[in-house]
Amino acid sequence: MKVSILIILTSFLVAGDIKITCEEHLFNLYPKNRDIRMHIFQLDKQIKNKVENIVKQRFYKDKLYYWTITEGDSTKAYAFLDNVIGKSMPITFMVILNIDGEIENVNVIKYREAYGSEVGSKSWLQQFINFNNNSDYSIGKDIDGISGATISVKSISKGMKKITTLYPLIQSQLK
Amino acid sequence: MKLLHLFTILLLTIALNAQDDFFEPGYSIGGYGELHWNRELNKDGETTKNQMDFHRFVIYYGYNWTEEWSIKSEVELEHNYVQDGEGELELEQAYVNYHTDKWGFQGGVILPTVGLLNEYHEPPLFLSVERPDYNKYIIPTTWFGNGFAFYGNIADFNLRFALMEDIEGEGIIADGHIRGGRGKGYKATGYSLLKNMSAVYTGISGLRLGASLTLNDAPIDDNPDTSISIQMFEVNAKYSANNIYAVFEFGQNSFDGNNTTTDYYDDAGNKIGTLKTSSGYYLDLGYNIGGMVNTNKLIPWLRVSNVSIDTDTDSKITDYMRFGLTWWPIDNIAFKMDYGTKTKKSDSNNPTTQINLGIGYNF
Repeated sequence: MKVSILIILTSFLVAGDIKITCEEHLFNLYPKNRDIRMHIFQLDKQIKNKVENIVKQRFYKDKLYYWTITEGDSTKAYAFLDNVIGKSMPITFMVILNIDGEIENVNVIKYREAYGSEVGSKSWLQQFINFNNNSDYSIGKDIDGISGATISVKSISKGMKKITTLYPLIQSQLK
Repeated sequence: MKLLHLFTILLLTIALNAQDDFFEPGYSIGGYGELHWNRELNKDGETTKNQMDFHRFVIYYGYNWTEEWSIKSEVELEHNYVQDGEGELELEQAYVNYHTDKWGFQGGVILPTVGLLNEYHEPPLFLSVERPDYNKYIIPTTWFGNGFAFYGNIADFNLRFALMEDIEGEGIIADGHIRGGRGKGYKATGYSLLKNMSAVYTGISGLRLGASLTLNDAPIDDNPDTSISIQMFEVNAKYSANNIYAVFEFGQNSFDGNNTTTDYYDDAGNKIGTLKTSSGYYLDLGYNIGGMVNTNKLIPWLRVSNVSIDTDTDSKITDYMRFGLTWWPIDNIAFKMDYGTKTKKSDSNNPTTQINLGIGYNF
């Protein structure tokens, strides 16, 4: 009975295909001697509002899924799964921060619209590597736009800023 | 009992995983609009046109039932109202969309992928007050109609194949250019079916490269026994990075009568020419000085263009020079002004000066 509930609950948390995609991506990025585990972080209302006001973009939900990447006893990186709204559908992405809060990797996990999927291209996402909470995420300055994907480009860029802005405020609470 | 238990768990798990945790069904609304003030002067400086017009008011409306299935629509009102043959109210898009991670299809009133502006024509996405004349007479933007499209993403390429209603051959003859042939979905025919094939590459940051080929045997007066074989080829490129803003489009259309000529006439019935080839290009070059004046985006720009509606007829070949300034206080609003000349090859001593002001938005 307990196992059954656990199976249902786990699948309820993150739909199967997204969880599998995320973990496959993480296993490919990190060597086998690193331990990868999923957790849920419940966003504190005050911190959530503070970050949303700075970035001018809401968090999709009150919780974030994240994975710890550890080697032995020390955590090497955190991978956050979040969503931003594109033209009308959520764009699910994963951003991996090193323990100093700098972006190590970005990946669009799921893009649900017919137009604008170029935001998932590796060459465009590469621009965010090494960005942190002090970087300039404005499109047209340090981040190039994409013709035909103006809405999703802006949303994703703000989404990155949201995670890097949040990280220093919650770092001590992460597993 | 254990098997039944396990089976129930499996069913429940599948049911829960059938729909994404992050997606919620719902409506979406968006739109764009543009106000224009157009003035034209002849070579003596006399005003030959002075017009203020809310050229387009557009609403996008859509609904997402599931992650895969949605409907998208676009309704447009042109020139403030529709009355006595003035103004236009059009259903420019209305299609069911099925989308997966890498591919999808659309069915309904759709847009072919031709040129840069046909699918991306919101005012803040181009520099000038009016759309370039290339995107009027060589690529008849906004070109929409009934049809189906399949699209897919492979590496950094987006490929699309659209099968749409026929172009109206009699409309091309009446107007003397491809724009006259747009059926706009109104009781259009589907004999030859328009085949539109396109590829877009976005593998280099800041750069978008596109190309398309469109083929159709356009029936005359809905009769496929007489038609105009049309072939449209175009390439387009947009570079927007490092404060540089550059756009280039080139296209060529060929027309060939089947059991008919492609002679076209003026309103008095005099023959102007035989439509065989249209071609054109434009090049926009701009630089964003927004950072220097502490604003979001401010681009002074220059355009050179040639639009040859009929490459064999001098009165249908026009050269353009234009420069302007466009300001985006935020990305969704653009204030525009531009100044330029258009000169017909048949009348090169009589350029028309055009001065335009405009406001455009999208959301």
